[in-house]
Parts: sequence; structure tokens; C-alpha cells
Amino acid sequence: MLRFAIRRLAMLVPVFLAVSLVIFMIVHLVPGDPLEHLIQVGSSPEQQAQMIARYGLDQPLLVQYGRWLAKVAGGDLGDAIVMRQPVARLIAENLPHSLALGGAALVFSTTVGIVTGVLAASFRDSLFDRVVMGFILLGSTLPSFWLALLMILAFAVQFEWFPVSGARSWDALVLPALTIGIGGTALIARVTRAAMIEIAGRDFVRVLQAKGLSFWRIQLRHVLQQALLPVMTILGLRIGWILGGAVTVEYVFARPGLGSLLITALGQRDYPLVQGCLLMLAIAVMLGTLLGDLAQAALDPRLRETMGAR
Amino acid sequence: MKTMLKGSMLALGLTALAATTALAQEATFVMTARLVGAPTYNPIKATKLNTATTLIFDRLVVQDADQSFHGQLASSWEASPDGMQWTFKLKPGVKFHNGEPFNAKTVAWWVPQFKGSENAFTVEAIERVEAVDDLTVRFHMKHPDPNLLFNLASSFMCIPEPKAYEALGDKFGVTEAIGTGPYRMQQFSVGQQTVLVRNDDYAWAAGLSTNQGPAKFKKLTFREIGEESTAYLELKTGGADLLVNVPTDFLPRIQADKAVKLVTFPGNELVYMPINTSVEPFTDIKVREATAFAVNQKEILASLYGGNGAVADTFLISSLKEAQVEPKFRIAYDPERAKKLFEEAGWKPGPDGIRVKDGKRLTVKLWTQNGTEFKRLVEIVQAQLKAVGMQAEISIIDAGSINAQYRKKTDHQLAIRAYQWTNADIVDWFFAAKRAGYPNVSMFNDPEAERLNDIAMNKSKTWDERVANFTRYHEYVLSQYPFAPIYQPVQSLAYGKRIAMPDKIRGMGLYSSTMLDIAPAN
Repeated sequence: MLRFAIRRLAMLVPVFLAVSLVIFMIVHLVPGDPLEHLIQVGSSPEQQAQMIARYGLDQPLLVQYGRWLAKVAGGDLGDAIVMRQPVARLIAENLPHSLALGGAALVFSTTVGIVTGVLAASFRDSLFDRVVMGFILLGSTLPSFWLALLMILAFAVQFEWFPVSGARSWDALVLPALTIGIGGTALIARVTRAAMIEIAGRDFVRVLQAKGLSFWRIQLRHVLQQALLPVMTILGLRIGWILGGAVTVEYVFARPGLGSLLITALGQRDYPLVQGCLLMLAIAVMLGTLLGDLAQAALDPRLRETMGAR
Repeated sequence: MKTMLKGSMLALGLTALAATTALAQEATFVMTARLVGAPTYNPIKATKLNTATTLIFDRLVVQDADQSFHGQLASSWEASPDGMQWTFKLKPGVKFHNGEPFNAKTVAWWVPQFKGSENAFTVEAIERVEAVDDLTVRFHMKHPDPNLLFNLASSFMCIPEPKAYEALGDKFGVTEAIGTGPYRMQQFSVGQQTVLVRNDDYAWAAGLSTNQGPAKFKKLTFREIGEESTAYLELKTGGADLLVNVPTDFLPRIQADKAVKLVTFPGNELVYMPINTSVEPFTDIKVREATAFAVNQKEILASLYGGNGAVADTFLISSLKEAQVEPKFRIAYDPERAKKLFEEAGWKPGPDGIRVKDGKRLTVKLWTQNGTEFKRLVEIVQAQLKAVGMQAEISIIDAGSINAQYRKKTDHQLAIRAYQWTNADIVDWFFAAKRAGYPNVSMFNDPEAERLNDIAMNKSKTWDERVANFTRYHEYVLSQYPFAPIYQPVQSLAYGKRIAMPDKIRGMGLYSSTMLDIAPAN
């Protein structure tokens, strides 16, 4: 297992380098620059040139990339140009909020998704199956921006159960977590349902039935256990996706977090900060994938044997 | 038992009263749209400051809505007849939040800090500052600058505490911000919120405020909510007490909402359409004039803004004296004049109504930045131009990159833009040849305009002379049609039932002069 984990971890290094290059180039090739936010309209061309030189923006892109990568390798994400604070500090201040939101959304979507998937598979092709799966699918197709506003209007304005926005109390987490969570619920429910149905048709299930085990005992103790393998892969991918997918939701709910920080930084073309945020999101996706693989390998010895042998 | 019950009820009642009183002493203000995202409260180095800035810091002088100037940290001032010296008397007993005194030495230290900074242009005309005595300071000028008071009244001219400023370096305004204002900064989280606590020693408010003592609220939280709908819903549900800047789109909705009150006051913004004078067909002044007169400002005001605000017919906001140009220079919708000018320029109507000249259709590029209001506006302008035979092809460009596009001096032809400024020198900023591309999006380069610009910017000795010179420069620019004026928005704020607003908004917007008079509602 350890060999498998080390092998998978090593595979992340070239991916990380490629991702860092893509991020850097995209950020710098998009029109606009942070000087818009550093130079007053009335400033002279000399002052503008001073600013450009001060932040090294007059250097060739590859030189700038090399400098940034060297810093990142040394654990320094640099200083935000417009916000004038260390990028690492800004990320550290915002990351806990994103993790709380992403974690709550993941718990919600996983719990509801698996329960719904199991029930839908157990009552396959029934009215319940069609209605619930259809409803979940509909929810997942709503744009998160729109769904967020609907949530606010219904549960904050109409019923007054939760605050409209912010992060000043625990209950402010509920609506944004639901908004993000609903999107993932459909995916997890569908994967769970499909895996349950496929596994329920295998021979060992018929043996268990012949032994006289109850339907729910077979479903929950034997079928679900194996059906969770593909769900683990999905969950691994979702960890990174949820952090990135929270961008619009954090914005609408005016919550601190990586998403809000990224939007502000993008608007200001604050290169080091945008790069830092995107790198964090990319790392989250990579680590999520790694965790999914490790969890799968832990549940299925055949997988780690196959990977370890290669 | 009965006594115990009574006692408990009394205690509960007192606790509730105390909680209510504490809540009444706190208020949450919400900033949205362009007020969101100010990265620092360092007035010297910031290019963007928000509403809370003037509560943390004071300025020497402040400006009222009628453009008059009033002392804040200065009690009086006087300019020498040749305009080469300005002497300010300072108020006694003023202290910074950290207990350090504010005096003439502070001002003598402060002005040189601008050298090489983002806001260096504000003190460009000042040669040196002399501390005459503890409460008298004299500015020695490189050349007369009748605009000095305007610059000193700017938020960028808020005065920080020297020791803290030097000790904190770039962190000043981010981790700590120490001024002499009616509130101290307790916490600042960029893009999220700023928490201010009352400066109980405050006793040097500008004459614009009725309240000359400490502020009425013990604690103020300024939340930044980028999404305008969320900001409005926070106010509606009582999560916020005041919405500092109501987006124009939301005015009708707020007017119809009985839960909130709306205050509108003259704006300091102007929406306009620059015309790129360096590319065809706009190198022809007749085409520019025709285009400018094709824009129906009244229709835009009524249909897009519900009648809130005013039409623009010059390049300056109406409250400026330099906006009072002769009627013949004003640009107001006149479709017949537009059509006649197009004909004179050789552009004849084609079979589909779009004009044609030498086999070429009158098709132009119309740019604007993303944002609901700009998108709607650009579509209306497109329809209005089509009505006189010009086909405008719209491009919506990300707000963060559109200025960089202009700076490349591209072949954009028309654009919809807005500026927020309360001084006639905006004509220099947006039409001086040296700034072609951006901010001179019109790529205007005219020798006579440059001559008049030089006189207005550098040769004016007194305020009245400056007004006359800028009026002349403004009139000339208007006569060359490098833009079409469109709209002047109002400033508006909305507040809930926990707030009592003063009768009048003093100053150029919602600044400390008014905020000192905002009180908890009884």
C-alpha cells in the first residue's frame, strides 16, 4: 500500500509542473494587468514604468515564470501586488472558510446522494425512483448562481430561517452548502444507483439470497460495500471540484473563501494572488484524486496489486 | 416564590434592554458594486478607497455638494496674492488614535510622503511645506495651483499618523490604520468587511456636521457584498442597516419597498460615449457631430433609469461651474440634425436603412464593459444609432481588461463608459493628446485643444481664472464632438428602520460629515 501511495504521489510532480505553467501563462496572457489598480489616471508614463519595473512585469514571461516557480518551490507564493499582503497569508485566512463550506457541501451531497442512490436502486423503475432521481437531476442542472439566489429568496427572505449572506454565524453556512451540495448529489446518487444495480445482478448476490438473507441486509452490507468503490473515485474528484465550484456561490453569499479571493484577484489582475489561488485549487484537485485512488486501493486489494506491479 | 419570579422577570427585562441598547449602538453598512475590493486604507498609496476611509482619517479641508470648501483639520486658510503660498491654521487639541498629537509638523512630514507614490500628482505643485509654528503650516508652491483645495479635500489626502505609517510600511492601512477620524479601525478583511469602533475623543468635526462630538454609533461594520441582489436583500431582511450605494437598477424596487427608505442626492458620475477621432469614419467631424446628436439622452433616462438622475449634455457633471457652457455647445438629441450631417458627409441611406458611402456601409464597432447596466445601455444606443442609419456592432469586454485594450490604441470606434469625478480637470485627463488610448479613449489630438488645455492646467492663477479657462477648454472640446454625453446618475443610499438619517447629505457623497450625524432610530 505504501509503495502504491509513493508511486501515485510521484506521479503528481510532473502534473504539478504542467499545471503551474498553464496557470501562469493563462493568467498573464489574459488582457489587462494589475497596474490598472496601482496607477492613478493622472500618473505620468515615468511613474507607470517605475511600477512595471518594481513588480518585474517588464521581464520576459518565461523569466517571470522561472522566478515564480523557484519561489513556490521554496514555499513562498510571493506578495499580492494590489492587496500588498503575502499570498500565503491571504490564502491561509480564506482557506478555512472554503474548507468548511466544501466539507459541509461534500457531507450533504455524499449522504443524500448515497441514500437516494441506494433507495432508487432498491426500488428500481418505481415511481419513487423516477420522481426522486428526476428531481435531483433537475436540481443539479440549475446554475449555482441562480440556485443561490433562489435559496436566499426562499429560506432567508421568505421564511427567515437563515441569514442572507456572510460568515458571521454557523447557520450562514447552510444555504451555500446546500447550493453547492445539490449539484453533487445527483452525480453521487446516479453513480451509487448504477453500481448497486450492476452488483445486485452478480452471482454472489443470488447465493446470499439463496442463503435466506434479508433484502435490506444484502443491499446494505454486501451490495453497497462494493458499490462504494466507484463512488470513492467520484468523491475524490469532488473534493477539488467543490473548492473550485464554490467560486460563484461564495460571491453570491458574500462569504470569505478561496472563491471570493480569486474573483477579487481576477478583477484586479493581481497575478501572484490569482496564481496562488489557482494553484491551491489545482493542488486540491490533485490531492482529491490521490485520496480517491488511495481509498479505492484500500477497499480493493486487486487495484493496488495491479498498480504496484507496474 | 412570587418575589423570585418578579425578580427574574425584571432581570430578564433588563438584560433584554441592555442587549437592545447595545444593538442600537451598532450598525452594519453595506457597500456593493464598485465600492467593493479596496485593498488598503493607506490613503497615500491607494488608488481605490472606500466609504470607511473618511471615518478613520481626517483631511485638512472637505468639500460640500455645492463645491464650497470647509475646514476639517484646518480652521482657516489663506492664499498669497500671487498664489505662491498657502497658509493653513490648524485646529488645536487634535490627536491621532494612538495618542500622538496632530500639528504643523505632521503636515510638513505628510506632504513629502507622496513623492513617487501612486498619488504623487495631488501634491505636484507643492515645492515644500513649512511648519511656521505648532498650529500654522505654509505651503510654498512651484507654481500657482488654484486646484489645491480640491486636491486637499480628496480622500487620498487623508492624513495618517507618521510614526505608525513609517513603522508599518506597506502594512499600514492593511493591518492597522491610524488617523484622527471619528472611528478607529478594529479589523479589516479585504473584500469582506471593515469593523470600526468609535473614537470617543473626537471633537474636531468639519462645520458641515451638526454633530461636533463623537459619532452616534459605538461600532460600525462595513460589509462588502459584490453581488448587488444579495446586498439589497440584506437590507430588506434587516441584516444590514444601510446600503451605501444603491445600484441604479435597484432604484425602482427600493422605491416600492416599504421596509426601506431611499435618499437620493446629486451624483458625481457621468456616462458618455467616446468617439475614436483617429479612425474612419470618425475622422470626419460631421460624422462625429451626427453620431453625438443621434443619442437620445431623454429616452435613455426614462427607459433605463426610470427617470432617476439627469441627462448629460456636456462632459462635466452639472454642479461644476465649468459645465455652464453656452447653449450652442450643448449636445442634445436632434435626429434631423444628425441625418442632415450624415448627408453632408456623403453617407446616404442604403436599401435597408443603413447608410452607404462609396459602396461602404456605415458599420462601426461599439465597445463596452460587462455589467448589466452597460449591456442594457449599449443595446439602447445601438438601436438609436440604427434609427439614423448607423449600424453598431457591440462587443462586451471584461471590465478588468477593457482599459488595457484601449491602451493598445486599437481600432475601436465607439464605446460606452462612465467616470466619477468632481473637477473640470477630467477634461484634461480624458482628452489630452498625451493620454491617447487610455484614458483618452477618443484618441483626441487637436492643437487648439492642447493650447487651451495648457492654459487651463498650468496658467490659471486663481480659482475664478481656472474656471474661466476650463470653461473655454471644455467648450472647444465640445465643439469637436469627440464624445456623446449620455447620463448623470444620482447618488442614492437606502436604509432600514434602525437608522435615523440627517435631513441633508453634506459633502460630495456619503462621507464622515454626514455619517457623524447618522444616529440610531428611537
